[in-house]
Formats: sequence, C-alpha cells, structure tokens
Amino acid sequence: MKKITIPIGPQHPALKEPISLRMTIEGEVIKDADIRLGYNHRGIEKLAESKTYIQNIYLMERICGICSHSHTTCYVQAVEALCGLEVPKRGLYIRTLVSELERIHSHLLWLGVAAHEAGFDSLFMYTWRDREVVMDLLEIISGNRVHYAINTIGGVRRDISEQQKEKILEGIEFLRKRTEYYTNLGTTEPTFVARISGVGKLPKEKAIELCAVGPTLRASDVASDIRKDDPYAVYDEIPFDVCTADTCDVLGRVVVRVKELIESYKIVEFVIKNLPAGEIKIKAPRKVPEGETVSRYEAPRGENIHYVKSNGTDKPERLKVRAPTLANYPATIEMLKNGFVADIPLIFAAIDPCICCAERVVELIDVKSGRSDIMTFSEIKRKYFCEKKRETL
Amino acid sequence: MKLKPAAFIPELLRHIFKKPATVRYPFEKLKVPDDFRGTPVLKPELCIVCRSCVRDCPAFAIEITTLSEEEKKYKMTIHNDRCIHCAQCVESCPTKALFMDTEFEIATDSRLKLKAEYIYSRQKKTDQKSQQT
Ligand code: SF4
Ligand code: SF4
Repeated sequence: MKKITIPIGPQHPALKEPISLRMTIEGEVIKDADIRLGYNHRGIEKLAESKTYIQNIYLMERICGICSHSHTTCYVQAVEALCGLEVPKRGLYIRTLVSELERIHSHLLWLGVAAHEAGFDSLFMYTWRDREVVMDLLEIISGNRVHYAINTIGGVRRDISEQQKEKILEGIEFLRKRTEYYTNLGTTEPTFVARISGVGKLPKEKAIELCAVGPTLRASDVASDIRKDDPYAVYDEIPFDVCTADTCDVLGRVVVRVKELIESYKIVEFVIKNLPAGEIKIKAPRKVPEGETVSRYEAPRGENIHYVKSNGTDKPERLKVRAPTLANYPATIEMLKNGFVADIPLIFAAIDPCICCAERVVELIDVKSGRSDIMTFSEIKRKYFCEKKRETL
Repeated sequence: MKLKPAAFIPELLRHIFKKPATVRYPFEKLKVPDDFRGTPVLKPELCIVCRSCVRDCPAFAIEITTLSEEEKKYKMTIHNDRCIHCAQCVESCPTKALFMDTEFEIATDSRLKLKAEYIYSRQKKTDQKSQQT
C-alpha cells in the first residue's frame, strides 16, 4: 500500500494546544510520526533574565497552569541552593502538602481527559466535578485556585490553620472514596478497558532508551520517581510507594495515575498529621551569590528540571527549564508507530501533554532549501525584513 | 479482574435524583475564602513611600509619582488591568499599607476603568511613631 503523510495540527479539533504532528500512514496504520514544536513559544527564559529572583517566582508559576507549583518549587529550590538557605521544616511540609494536592488535581483532570478521549464522557464529567473539591482546598490554603503562589525563596508564604487542616482531611476522605470507585469502574467496565488496553505500547527497554519520564515511564514498569530517587523537600521522611504498571499501554498509564492518587491521599494525611511547629520561612537575600545549580522535581507529569545560573546580582544570568512533556515526546513517537489513526488523540493525551510548557526554542526552517537555523532576533530582522524591503524597492 | 458490563449504570441513575453540582451564577454566588487574593488596595495613611511594592511587583502594576517634593505629596496608581493578583506587594510592604480585597467580579468594558489612583501625603516616620504612642 502507498504511504502518505498527513499533517495534524497546528490547529486541529483533536488538539487542545497548537502542535504539528506529521503522520506517515499506510491505510489506517501509522508508520512514522514527526512532531514539530514552536507554535506556542513565549520566550519565558529570556524574560526571566530581566526580572529579579522574586519576580521570577510568579513568572515560573505561569509556565504551566496545571503544574504551577511544580515549576515554582523547582525554581525556588535552585535559588535556595545557590543562597545556601536552610528552609524551616514547617515550610517544607506545607510545600509538600501543596505539591501533593496539585498532583491530585492534575491526575483527576487527566483521568477526565483520558476518559473523554476514550469516549467515556460520564466519567469525564464526574472526575471533573470531584476535582472541584481539591481545587477548593487549594483555594482555601493559598487564596487562588490555579496559581497558588505559595512558594517564596526561603519557605512558603502562608501558614495552615487547624480549621484548614480539618477541611483538607475531610476533602481527602471524600476523594479517596470516589477514587476507589473510579478504580473499580475503570478496570471493570469492558468498553473502557477494551478501548485503552493494548493502545500506545511502549516496551520497557524503549521507555528507558527514549528517556520517558513520570507516569509514562512508570506505566512501562520502571520504578523511577524523583521523590524516591533524589528526595527533595521532606519526601525522605514520608512513607509512600512508587506506583508502576506492567501493561506498557494506555491502560497502564491510567492504573499508575489512579494508584498515585491513592498514594497522594496518604501523603497529604501524613503531612497534616505530622506538621511540625515553627517558622514557615526564613529571610532570603535579594542578591544571589555567583554560581550555578540544577534542581529536580517530580511534577505530576514527570521529572521537571530547572537550571539557574547567577552572577551575583539580583537577576539570574540564565534560567533553563526542561518541562516533563518535552522528555516524553520521543517516547510518544514510539507509541504512535503501528497504531491506528483513530488512536492518536488517546495516545497523545496519555502522556498528559502540556505543549506550551515544553516550548523552549523557535526553529526556523527555510521552506525552499530545508535548511534549519536558530537565530537571534536581530538576525531575523536583518535577514527577513531587510530582504523584504529590498524586494519591494 | 472480572469485567462487568455497564458497571456505570447504577451511578448514573443515582445522579438523576441528585442536586446539581453547580450554582446558578449570577443569581447565586459562592463565597470566596477569607484570604482570597482579589485586588490590591492601598491604605494611604500607612504608606511611607519606600517603593518596595513597585520594585517587587512582577507585573509592573504599581506606579508611584511624586506630585510635590516639598509637601511630600505622592500619587500611587495600581493598574489592576496588569495585576496578576500574586499579593507580592502586600508581602513586600514594610508598614502593611497594602492589602488584598476579596473582589473577583472585576470585569469591565475598558481596562482604564480598572485603574485605582491614590493621592496622599507621606507620613513621616516620627509622625507614625507619635500616632502609635
Ligand atoms: S498583586 Fe502582584 S501583580 Fe498585583 S500589584 Fe501586587 S505585586 Fe503587582
Ligand atoms: S505601599 Fe508599602 S511598600 Fe509600597 S511604597 Fe508604600 S510603604 Fe512602601
């Protein structure tokens, strides 16, 4: 059969964010896939170089609307390491609490999206309704549903009261019951299981070879989790298990995330019950001593990496962000291969893509010669605007 | 695991008799939490014009202009259209002159209407102390 290439995106009803996928198909079967990024580039890293460390917390938060706390935590951890700050225990516990609540909301959201892509819209509605419970908890703690802004350099900005603790425990109890019900449902409803099992296969060796991260990696039976492998905050004091699945498909990714929800409930309860007394933050200097560091964080979607280089002023010299979605793209191509066209949205949704978080560079490709370049803005101006002018003259 | 067809049906039926999960906004409103981050508001009598808020605001939403050097008159403009409601200004202020209100329905038809201006004279530090004592 003849191979043809079909473009999906940058704008496509099946995609929530702009990305360009080029599928080489033979009949209904995908033979090869190519992912093109760059439609959602925001220049955040460059902007960060012109803002102070304090202002950058809020900028980092806006890398992602779903894992906003992941990015700020990863960033403040790096800055704290550069300044040699010892964050008070209570601060770290509250930070951990918010990150687990964030994981809960992110995984519930994802569960809904996956159900929707699989055509199970009632499950989508119900998980999103229940997700409101954890969103409300986050709002009570931080004053906002999405951008919690709880982190600051040297600790957290808001304390937790006894009343809030009770509310959190209540909410978690409710969510635990619901999640148990969904686990039961998701793994016993034959139509749903038939739709997702065997789809988007990523064998264990391939997952390791292609450096997949987060639940995608764990669903291929690799027990890797930054919280266990390289504990940050207070994860070395908290008992929890790394959840894996061995089916290596979308079903496995559902199972891993649902199990992680249960683990997160446990962590939240542990944190609330063992919250130490004391300060929540220490004062941080405005100017950060010269140096460079890398900080790792297990975001709901996988390993998040921030690199910060300081030059002794109050602004970073370089800030580099590696969002988890970017690490999962090579694995996604592997998953798409030999799958069906109709499975594209499902497979793609299963890595929980956050496309604009992963956009770091804009690559310019000359359509005529196929030559690709990474250019500075002045070069672009010189090359394209000046050429245009010359042509019109 | 044993598969059960239509495992979802009982749950779906149960929901027919449940109250809706949403409220009928704008006729009914949910209460926001007490320390909700709404709009930053200035208490001019407390401001010592140290400009910490201007320096730390990530969105450049606060502007302080000097109206008269001798009379120590200043104007603070809070551009609520640029504000990202992070409350960093509240935290940076040494005299607690700023606070966040709980207003969330701030949509208007022009961004100029979102500007809040405060004209005030600066409190001398000594004045404040004498007030306190
Ligand atoms: S809340 Fe944040 S963005 Fe708004 S004025 Fe204050 S510091 Fe600026
Ligand atoms: S509001 Fe507070 S931080 Fe801003 S200038 Fe006045 S005293 Fe300083």
